[in-house]
Amino acid sequence: MILQALYDYYQRKREDPDPARHLPAFGLENKEIPFIIELTAEGRPLGIIDTRQGDGKKKQAQRYLVPKGVKKASGVAANLLWDTAEYALGIDARGKPERVVEQHAAFRLRIAELPEAARLDSGIQALESFYADYGWSALADDPVWAEIVEKNPIITFRLQGDGDLICQRPLVVANDDGKAEGGAEASTCLITGVLAVPERLETAIKGVWGAQPSGANIISFNARAFESYGKTERQGENAPVSPAAAFAYTTALNHLLDKGSRHRVQVGDASTVFWAQKDDAEIEEGFAAVFGGQDDPDAQTEHIRALLDAVQSGRFDGGRGDNRFYVLGLAPNAARISVRFWQSEPIHLIAKRTQDWFKDLELIRSEYDPPYPALKRLLASICLPTKDRPFGDMDRLPEVIVGGVMRAILVGGELPALILNSALQRCRADQARKDPTSGKPVRHVSYLRAALIKAVLSRHFRVHAPQRKEISVSLDRSNTDSSYLRGRLFALYERVQEIAADRELNRTIRDSFFGAAMATPRAVFPRLVRLNQQHLRDLRRSKAGTAGYFDKELRAVNDALDPKTAFPAACALQDQGVFTLGYYHQRQDFFSKSESSQSTQGESK
Amino acid sequence: MTSFCLEVSGDFACFTRPEMKVERVSYDVITPSAARSVFEAILWKPAIRWEVRRIEVLNPIRWISVRRNEVKSKISVSNVKEAMNGTRDELAMLIEDERTQRASLLLRDVAYRLHADLLPVGDDARANPAKYREMFQRRAEKGQCINQPYLGCREFAARFRLVTDPASEAPPLTESRDLGWMLYDMDFAAVDDPKPRFFRADLQNGVIDLTQAQVTA
Repeated sequence: MILQALYDYYQRKREDPDPARHLPAFGLENKEIPFIIELTAEGRPLGIIDTRQGDGKKKQAQRYLVPKGVKKASGVAANLLWDTAEYALGIDARGKPERVVEQHAAFRLRIAELPEAARLDSGIQALESFYADYGWSALADDPVWAEIVEKNPIITFRLQGDGDLICQRPLVVANDDGKAEGGAEASTCLITGVLAVPERLETAIKGVWGAQPSGANIISFNARAFESYGKTERQGENAPVSPAAAFAYTTALNHLLDKGSRHRVQVGDASTVFWAQKDDAEIEEGFAAVFGGQDDPDAQTEHIRALLDAVQSGRFDGGRGDNRFYVLGLAPNAARISVRFWQSEPIHLIAKRTQDWFKDLELIRSEYDPPYPALKRLLASICLPTKDRPFGDMDRLPEVIVGGVMRAILVGGELPALILNSALQRCRADQARKDPTSGKPVRHVSYLRAALIKAVLSRHFRVHAPQRKEISVSLDRSNTDSSYLRGRLFALYERVQEIAADRELNRTIRDSFFGAAMATPRAVFPRLVRLNQQHLRDLRRSKAGTAGYFDKELRAVNDALDPKTAFPAACALQDQGVFTLGYYHQRQDFFSKSESSQSTQGESK
Repeated sequence: MTSFCLEVSGDFACFTRPEMKVERVSYDVITPSAARSVFEAILWKPAIRWEVRRIEVLNPIRWISVRRNEVKSKISVSNVKEAMNGTRDELAMLIEDERTQRASLLLRDVAYRLHADLLPVGDDARANPAKYREMFQRRAEKGQCINQPYLGCREFAARFRLVTDPASEAPPLTESRDLGWMLYDMDFAAVDDPKPRFFRADLQNGVIDLTQAQVTA
């Protein structure tokens, strides 16, 4: 199904009326070529043209449609009319003179093997004259020569006055029938069902984060243990794919994985590509925005809002909604690529599930928190912060989570329990965290963590404990769940302490007791209750009105608590999550009302 | 009655796609060859042959991804021969040297109803077809099998139950999808070079009808 869907995507893109979005035909590929050597008709070199644009490290060479390159392994294999400087010119860049001689000879051989008609082309004639009369020494004066010798980049040739490269000239293109891999007999292609000689080695898929830089393969039988039915060292026959189909799906996948492609996001270590059966910009952009990765957060919010509006107004019903939307997650494993997840769902279902996702995440927030948090930021908030990434280092994200989260969003099921565990762990670890520059306490139960906890718990309870009250978006004073009430209680105690000491404290009960109150209330709450009595007494002396307000709130919470279940000895993970949400809701309640005397002073982000 | 119906279910299944055999990705539904293996696990003799006619998918298609440590080479035949001849002292494969990690994308909580025909091919079966039918009926009812039936890979054991009246069972999934080209079976006509055969799989209301399938040569 996966390869089939990629093949269909390629077919669709071949017929795209916009030529800029065309995918190359069979036998060609789009290649970045930084240097072009210009020759006169007699073969005299005029100079080397540098096609790179941009500056410093971001220099990007121009792309050209050239005959498809052969797969480079450790042997000597030359491409036709374009290759690295070692092959094309025979210069020794890395100190291996014998090998360079072989490489250059192979390059010349490929030209010599062209049919008669192509070899008579003036471009090829000029090239032959260049090799015969001039050689690379004639280019040594050129300013970029030193760079070429050092970096061994890809170079190609062009005739003076021509727009095309020599390898793009019509006579050459028409007569290059490619190297045929003879010997094997035809078998049925498992993508298209036609009979063809199977492709022996798959073209490298570049762009999967974490894989080898030279590219990796999906279809790969690169060790003996992976071959079946006695097909030793006949890799392709283990999974027969015709060359045309192989070209189609690898080109499509490379195109989707390209840098700057809007069909790609990185979720943890899985490079995820997604596309619709028929071009649908709204859902593709909305989907990309769900994950984040675009630089402009406002644009992101707009896309998501547009997507949710579209769902609401029913624009995804009917024919448009029945088209399928494909999501493919690829993870690296050295020279191989494994499929982390694959979902193919009708668009209206994807849209609906995106809506469900944001509904589950919905939580009261301050103005500077994003309304539709991107998945990247959500997952980063539950990762260990490091020096480079103080908001959570995504490289530390366990791989198991990525596939689980993707499936939960796309299929609508439960989120992995590991997320809840990690989120609570981070809350506990950060309970005493202070901002290194200002010394003010950092919000350990941040909006992102709380939203994620709410999403996990909502989905979990829907399946396993439907009798439990649904967690609300903001403070719910009628919720009598004991964990929720305990969370509110803790927040109230902390607030009383802060106000009683005029917010001059370096440590509050939060720094010392949050984790213990969450997990083992019975051990900690007696002490907290006693402390609270003292703080309330101080508060009554200094600010009687505020003390009255807190008295009322505390009494309401304590009345709602059932003494038998109020303070258990130990709490299950879900109850700890509900505690955290109760705490978050109560604290948000302090800071969201503008008319109350509580202000946002003293509390940093 | 040559046609039998088994209900097969399991916690995990992996009907590995041939193109993604290293980093395993499963087909969406059971392949006819895997279905055949379930029947053969209960009863098989050289005189008979099983042919799967119909596959009904009972549970929604769900996935799970796991990563396992495996080995990347095989012990070579020549080494084994040397050891047999006494010219080699040590015959071993050390997993520390050969370790590789392979990820798998598996199906979970699968359940299928498989309909297959028992076809006699050998002389004895052609003479007494009822004998083999009765044998299968008895064994399937009792839950007897030669090896534990499995769903694609040996580690994913399957539970099976003989279904006597398929019409009175729960209906299959109401889903229709085009599953593309799926592996039908391997063709062992040339014993040392087995060839895969594919067919165009189409799930219609949870049923794949193999009697109408176009199978490639």
